[in-house]
Amino acid sequence: MIENYSNRKSLKSFDGSYSSDVILKRPEKYREIEKFSKYSQHLITMGSNYSYAPLSFHQESLVLDLEKFNRVLNFNEKKKEITIEAGMKIFEFLNFTLNYNLWIPQLPGYPYISLGGAAATNAHGKSCETHGTIRKSIKKILLYHKINGWLNLSNEENKEIFDLTIGGLGLTGTIVSITFNLTEYDFAEFLTIKKKVFSIEDSIKNLETKNDQSEFIYSWNTTDDIKNFGKGYIFKNIPKKNTKQISKIANIKNNNFKIPVCLWNKFTIKIINKIYFKFLDLQKKETTENFLNVIFPFIGKENYFKLFGSRGFIESQLLVSSLVLNDFLEEIKNLCKIYEPLITLFSFKLMSGEQTLLRFEGDRICLTFDFVNNKKNHIFLEKIDQLCIKYNILPSISKDSRISLKTFDKCYKEAEIFREKLIKFDKNRVYQSELSKRLKI
Amino acid sequence: MNYLIIGASSGLGRELSYTFAKNKNNLIVCSRDERDLEALKSDIENKHKVEVKTLALNLTSEESIQNNLLIDQELFKTIDGILFPIGLMFEDDKVGLELEKINSLYQANFSSVAFIISKYLSNKDEGIIVGFGSVSGYLGRKFNPYYSAAKSALNSYFESLGFESKKKNIKIQFYILGYLETNLSFGKKLIMPKGSVKKLSEIVYKNKNKKFKKYFFPFWWSFIVFAIKVIPFSIILKMNKFLK
Repeated sequence: MIENYSNRKSLKSFDGSYSSDVILKRPEKYREIEKFSKYSQHLITMGSNYSYAPLSFHQESLVLDLEKFNRVLNFNEKKKEITIEAGMKIFEFLNFTLNYNLWIPQLPGYPYISLGGAAATNAHGKSCETHGTIRKSIKKILLYHKINGWLNLSNEENKEIFDLTIGGLGLTGTIVSITFNLTEYDFAEFLTIKKKVFSIEDSIKNLETKNDQSEFIYSWNTTDDIKNFGKGYIFKNIPKKNTKQISKIANIKNNNFKIPVCLWNKFTIKIINKIYFKFLDLQKKETTENFLNVIFPFIGKENYFKLFGSRGFIESQLLVSSLVLNDFLEEIKNLCKIYEPLITLFSFKLMSGEQTLLRFEGDRICLTFDFVNNKKNHIFLEKIDQLCIKYNILPSISKDSRISLKTFDKCYKEAEIFREKLIKFDKNRVYQSELSKRLKI
Repeated sequence: MNYLIIGASSGLGRELSYTFAKNKNNLIVCSRDERDLEALKSDIENKHKVEVKTLALNLTSEESIQNNLLIDQELFKTIDGILFPIGLMFEDDKVGLELEKINSLYQANFSSVAFIISKYLSNKDEGIIVGFGSVSGYLGRKFNPYYSAAKSALNSYFESLGFESKKKNIKIQFYILGYLETNLSFGKKLIMPKGSVKKLSEIVYKNKNKKFKKYFFPFWWSFIVFAIKVIPFSIILKMNKFLK
């Protein structure tokens, strides 16, 4: 049926691993959401298509792009509550709420991500140990499902679907609007304290020395030197109370500059790590950073991803219990010796929350690795997948687009519960993506 | 100042609403669907601190115009200007279209606009009227013939209004539009680049006090339209394959 409609477009996942031609429709009116949803038996909704894994399309799929649904539907300063349309980008949201010294603290590191997308992936930010995931700020959702119609979701109304929808990867329907509980803030700057670490053990020890709940703590580690595996820096961002106004975030359009080949290799990774290390060595131990630089570390660093070339990269984000962390990392170190993977980024941060359904959260340590997308690294990552099963580690399915059905089923204890609840709500399984097909959700 | 924007919920109408609100004007926004209007109202009021009223209005229905817009006889007296950023199109608009759809196209694109303007002028001796035509109104085409004919009528009607502007203190602007970055052109491969609705809405705001003016947007369409007028239609028919 969808062949009759124009608007064909080629979409690519952010990690560059998957691309496909889709039928892209951009509703601007509420009745267009209903109308366009009828164009195909299966569809999926897209926020801003910044998901690493292909969550918002699959081959020849009908995609609803909610970019035009970006309005403030209700704002109550006294109640600290806001309802926005789900296509609103984080920067648009903050440009409005920061005028009132309000925000939500669980913001992912790039301001051009849509809030609908952030809700569908149960996104988290740097402060995920203190503030958890975005779920904690969501009060209500308005969902459109092409068969079940318009549904209000909250803890009081349609709770089961509400729970399935937050972190449900857009599979329950189109998230049209979201009501957030806002949090006050009284800082516009951070004091950033950095400390050199010489090994993974050193990093972990320092991560656990957090003094204040409002601090954000994370690390940058290197893996290119096996002898000094995990050498790097620990960063602490401490909010500085002041009344400075946070500047508006501009809407920067990403340039289309592309590098066809991957510039990351053993040599360049070593060089860049050395240069960055030297740069950090020369910097003062304590610096003042502005709000935007700390909350959105990826602004202005978009070219980092372009250096991976047209084949893209693989990001592996893992939630590891502190009880098995040392054993797991020891095994990783040994695997690195054998497989010599090309790792461009390795970082730690702490996380809190409760792992249920498809949600990537829990009272664990969050490890992030970026890999060059090549055969050797795929073999290495398969070994990591085995370790995930062995140590009951949770890999992020919205970051790593290679996760297999087997790994998913073994690591996500509630995968089957999610499937059962979803099929009960939507027996035709209308909303589908590459990820949902791969993982048979 | 208070402006009535008919067709405010999407595309150019939505952008005009933001531009006029940003410049601290109160608005009455009209469109078919109350849900879109409420979303627009809330967003504008929260961001620009102006007063926005909504009016659900179906331009293909005289009854809707009478009952929703004209019922309040004082309304036009409070309005300083009316903008008509509307355009109804059907995918199956081809020669041989059924009467009901032909009438809808005529009503939404021409006769309802003319009717509302007549009512406005009978209540006011001064004010601003801004209309939006289409370059398609300058040439019969293979597709959208009824839409094009309605826009052609609108073009002629606004020229006639120019004479009215001489008699009263009425300011009239008419924009003849080529391709714009709206949902109508989204994802379509077109022979000419699309104009920015944001830029156009700023031009409309800036020019609103001009006595009578016709504009092409994007401007290069004025050259194309000039060429179309100069070239005999028999030659244009032979160039059939380029007429998209």
